Amino acid sequence: MQRALVEVLLLSVTAGVLGSWIVLRRLAFYTHAIGTAAFPGLVLAVPWGIPAQAAALGTALGFAGALDRLTRSGRAATDSATGLLLVGFFAVGVVLASDVFEAGAGVDRLLFGSLLGVSELDLWLTAAAAVGALALNAALWRPLLTAGFDPSAARALGVPATTADWLLLVAIACAAVVALEAVGALLVIGVLVMPAATVRLVARSVPELQIATAALAALQGVAGLWLAATLNVGPGPTISVLGGAVFAAAALFLAGRRRLAR
Amino acid sequence: MSRGGSRLVEVSDLGGGYAPGAEALSDTSFAVEAGMILAVLGPNGGGKTTLFRALLGELPIRRGHVEVRGRPAYVPQTERARLDFPVSAVEVVLMGAYGRTAWYRRVARADRGAANAALERVGLADRAGVRFGQLSGGQRQRVLIARALMQDAAVLLLDEPLSGVDTASAERIETLLSDLRGQGRAVLVATHDVDQARRWDRVLCLSGRQVAFGPPAETLTTSVLRATYGAELVELDDGRYGVRVDHHSHGT
Repeated sequence: MQRALVEVLLLSVTAGVLGSWIVLRRLAFYTHAIGTAAFPGLVLAVPWGIPAQAAALGTALGFAGALDRLTRSGRAATDSATGLLLVGFFAVGVVLASDVFEAGAGVDRLLFGSLLGVSELDLWLTAAAAVGALALNAALWRPLLTAGFDPSAARALGVPATTADWLLLVAIACAAVVALEAVGALLVIGVLVMPAATVRLVARSVPELQIATAALAALQGVAGLWLAATLNVGPGPTISVLGGAVFAAAALFLAGRRRLAR
Repeated sequence: MSRGGSRLVEVSDLGGGYAPGAEALSDTSFAVEAGMILAVLGPNGGGKTTLFRALLGELPIRRGHVEVRGRPAYVPQTERARLDFPVSAVEVVLMGAYGRTAWYRRVARADRGAANAALERVGLADRAGVRFGQLSGGQRQRVLIARALMQDAAVLLLDEPLSGVDTASAERIETLLSDLRGQGRAVLVATHDVDQARRWDRVLCLSGRQVAFGPPAETLTTSVLRATYGAELVELDDGRYGVRVDHHSHGT
């Protein structure tokens, strides 16, 4: 339980920093896709005797590279290409898990994670991802802000927008991979995107969005762990359900307040 | 600041485009000197923004050459910016200093002062802390122009800065353009407004290629406007001509 608590707090830092950029840059679908696309890597890790995180990262980066090639060639729009590759990678993972390696018993853990089973290595990797996200945020703040706000003028303003965009996509891939062990391939978005999407409803600046997102992610993580222990259910899904409920409540509250103000 | 006399932009026999085998703009040759405002006229899709992309070094050039003094400042159409992005007016203006600030340094205090001064110059000093998306269309345009002022560039490219802005903003922007001309900068303005173009120094008419270039009095003839706008050119009741662009007309 102690490790689970440390894990969610470390993930909160990444969620605050990267989650905000994910929401601002409209990369939520990419984040979901890259988490799910890592599935075949996780299946292969056990029979091939390689670390699960390394296999997942390799697959996720392969997904990102394929997506880049497909969208640059102009053969498919970004969302279509993401959907196509997501299904392709996931289907390969299912075939590998069910028919080739018969790893059915571990599939639930791969898809939904096991927050209570995180190892010390997982904690170190999550900490490294959090530090990496903070470093990226500090170094690339200006290009990310400029390219996000006004992509048509970013190059003319002299900022390395293309490099920053690429590094952001790689950082999201790394963050999604380290979150896999805790919340699984299908629930990565619950940790990395939901808190930022909620805070986005009220945030007035990017720093405010990042700080408040980290705080909300930590709060939801700790509350989700407590709820899961109390109700004897999985912590990953509980945190995601809680995140969805908080988002819905915030959106409804704001909509009601706007209606009253009219 | 004086940059008088010299050519700041020189384009000869330019041809280029994004799609393989297709040229978005061709056969374009012109020059802009310091202290000059060039109106770039043409229908939507006629190559105005493509020309600016070429001057910014972002268009694959297949023929000819382009020379621009320094890195131009670019003011895009306001709808290209994200209105839902949580940035204030002064933060947007500060982006004009990013290109000269090393990634490991904070934006200089002098640049922060310059950003406030640029906002004051466009008449928006009291709106510095307001979110960009909450400003009116004309105010947003003025903020983007203030950002270009921050770049302190010899050449400025403005993509339809007067389209859909309120009268107060239009007047302020026109005064600013005159000031920039007086400072010896070269200002290229994409516009649909032919009346406005008559008041500036040179006119470049584009319709996928260069139709005409020269002083407004010699260039803005009926035949040139017909060749530039085709069916978009309409004859008004008083015998003048108008250009039908996005459901409104501009007199000629």
